[in-house]
Amino acid sequence: MNKLIIIKYGELTTKKGNIKLFIKTLKKNIEVALKDFEYKIEYDNGRMFIFGEELEKMESRLEKVFGIHEIVIGYEFDSIDIEDLKENLKDLIQNEKITAFKVRTKRSYKEYPLTSMEVSRILGGVVLKTIPESIVDVHDPKTFVDVEIRMNKSYIYLDGKSGLHGYPLGVQGKGLLMLSGGIDSPVAGYLAMKRGVRIEGIYFESPPHTSEAAKEKVKTLTQILSRYSGYIKLHVINFTEIQEAIYKNIPKEYLITIMRRMMYRITERIAHKNNAKIIVNGESIGQVASQTLTSMSVINAVTNMPVIRPVACLDKLEIIALAKKIETYETSILPFEDCCTIFVPEHPVINPDLSLCEEYEKLVDFETLLKDAIKNEEVVTIREDDKKFEDLL
Amino acid sequence: MIYLDYSATTPVSKEVLDSYIKVTRDYIGNPNSLHSLGMKSNELMKSATKQISEVLDIKTEEIVYTSGATEANNLAIIGYCLKNTRLGKNIVVSKLEHPSIYGICDYLKTQGFTVSYVENTKEGLIDFEDLSKKVTAETILVSIVGVNSELGIRQPLKTLRQIIKKQNENTVLHSDLTQAIGKVNVNLHDVDLASISGHKIYGPKGIGMLYKSEKIQIQPIIHGTEELRSGTPCLPLIIAFSKALRLAITNETKNESVVKLLNDKLTATIAKYPKIMINKTNYSIPHIFNLSLMNIKPETFIHALEKRDIYVGSNTACAKGEISSTIMAIYGDEKRANTSLRISLSHLTSFDDLNKFLYSFDIVYNKLLELGWENE
Repeated sequence: MNKLIIIKYGELTTKKGNIKLFIKTLKKNIEVALKDFEYKIEYDNGRMFIFGEELEKMESRLEKVFGIHEIVIGYEFDSIDIEDLKENLKDLIQNEKITAFKVRTKRSYKEYPLTSMEVSRILGGVVLKTIPESIVDVHDPKTFVDVEIRMNKSYIYLDGKSGLHGYPLGVQGKGLLMLSGGIDSPVAGYLAMKRGVRIEGIYFESPPHTSEAAKEKVKTLTQILSRYSGYIKLHVINFTEIQEAIYKNIPKEYLITIMRRMMYRITERIAHKNNAKIIVNGESIGQVASQTLTSMSVINAVTNMPVIRPVACLDKLEIIALAKKIETYETSILPFEDCCTIFVPEHPVINPDLSLCEEYEKLVDFETLLKDAIKNEEVVTIREDDKKFEDLL
Repeated sequence: MIYLDYSATTPVSKEVLDSYIKVTRDYIGNPNSLHSLGMKSNELMKSATKQISEVLDIKTEEIVYTSGATEANNLAIIGYCLKNTRLGKNIVVSKLEHPSIYGICDYLKTQGFTVSYVENTKEGLIDFEDLSKKVTAETILVSIVGVNSELGIRQPLKTLRQIIKKQNENTVLHSDLTQAIGKVNVNLHDVDLASISGHKIYGPKGIGMLYKSEKIQIQPIIHGTEELRSGTPCLPLIIAFSKALRLAITNETKNESVVKLLNDKLTATIAKYPKIMINKTNYSIPHIFNLSLMNIKPETFIHALEKRDIYVGSNTACAKGEISSTIMAIYGDEKRANTSLRISLSHLTSFDDLNKFLYSFDIVYNKLLELGWENE
């Protein structure tokens, strides 16, 4: 008997054509997540099997890997004989608390003499006999007893833990996430990652108007997000000159619109440079003046790159619930000024006019400023296990 | 030099001192300042606190830095009692506490609190039955030392808390864990409040912490800001403490096994002196070895050893020259309580040092015994 982790794939099993790439990517991501452990990994088109010592600890790491439907700690047996299966199941469940249950049998070895139904029925009898308080309930079971029969191995396991679902990170290529430090953008990043998009971050700082603390906060948020990917590259753009130029030259009510247009321009160029195919951000329809539909279209007009807004249609409370789930909320609500909160006019335009924007932008040589900002970008790679001050602590 | 007074204080370990020096030199900003220097200090402090929370398996909000265990004891007991008077005005303490606990009790008596003293068994364990009786509807806090500083008796805190909660579920348990942390495995979830000191775990003096469960409320005893402990955080001490605590806890099992071997040797040798009483019960931890000389004044003995560059303790460094209350509480023998020596061991103690100590001990003992000083 071998104790092991069985991984059931998520949505990827429906993607017939790409399944090999999906599984390979998932395997690579799992290897990153389990880099601190000794283990052996085997897989086929239906399951992944992980053998090792510290299964429980590994399991908790796997809970942060996208593309996994379910993670189960189960047992592998060398015999597929029904009498052995009965014995093995009896041994395994002896100390379990089982009430309403259902046995599910999967037989990938089709020459097996019994049908799945027959195996389930026989093994259900074993459960009933071993645990007096158990009852069969095929409609609303509290416990699933899963049995899988392969050519020369069988597997038995009880309930597993739900995985993160989604696609393996990276199968969809890369996106550049605009991170502000607020509640929405980390959630947007998480949701994009869930669909298999590897994320790099871009953050606009405006010292001395924004503080070192605000930047640290964004780095902390990036580190929390990196739990799902191992590492995240963060591009820090010094936005001070552009922001001051806007403040000095542009009518107040258009400050935010033009500022966002500049940010989009920089983001698009950084994305191109880093092979990212999309821009991801935390805009939510109607939340602030720059997120009305008109504002969005005027701001979006500066780029042809797809801009994915995963939280666009969520209510604030729904976004907050997700932020709490991924543990970014507590950091996001730390009160530091960011680029979008300084120089905020009292009455920003909510229906900006595109041609006016274009006129205003001619007032300053923004192209030079944009190039300078991009040239001076600071790039940091933030890792999940980065420990600060390791030498001192 | 042979130092055998590790329960009084420990030398600061090299890597801890290195951190202390580096932080003092390089992190000059006040963690509360807005600028980047302050920010850097603040980040460092947060990382240290996070590390402590991980090492002790508690939350960062449950950590309050203090100047040491005595202040932590004050903040825990006085802070809790004054905040929760509506729940009752009685506290219960054991007879095996560090002197600072009794000092706190005396203060609380002036504030209208009553103090009950719970009995212990001959083995030094808290008497469960008596504890059930002493905890009443009026009792708001019980304070029981995790490991006693004189005889090293370790208490089953989890069981004690269950007994207390059964009598009165509002009563909280405080434990002074100064002598326990880094020596034996402790689970802070077995108590509601706990005091920890830096200088007993090869960290610097002047730093300690209070663990305060997030479920309970206390009030500050030092007033300033809205914090539980006002004052500019002493960053170098906090960093050094965090490192010392990490080292102490991660190496605990390994260090304990070394100390156990030393203690076995010590016990076997001292047992051969017919007139010496060994003060040790089944619940004593190996780091502390206590004996009563019976016919020799301990001060004289300590000074005689000192001449040979050997340093041991009397009952505790915090109650010099007084009769040992712990030995009285367990053995009820005044002569025994009056003539005790405490030899406290460390993983830093070598067998060679121990042999040299035993050699000197024999000479000094026989010489002083000949003088025939009679303990009054």
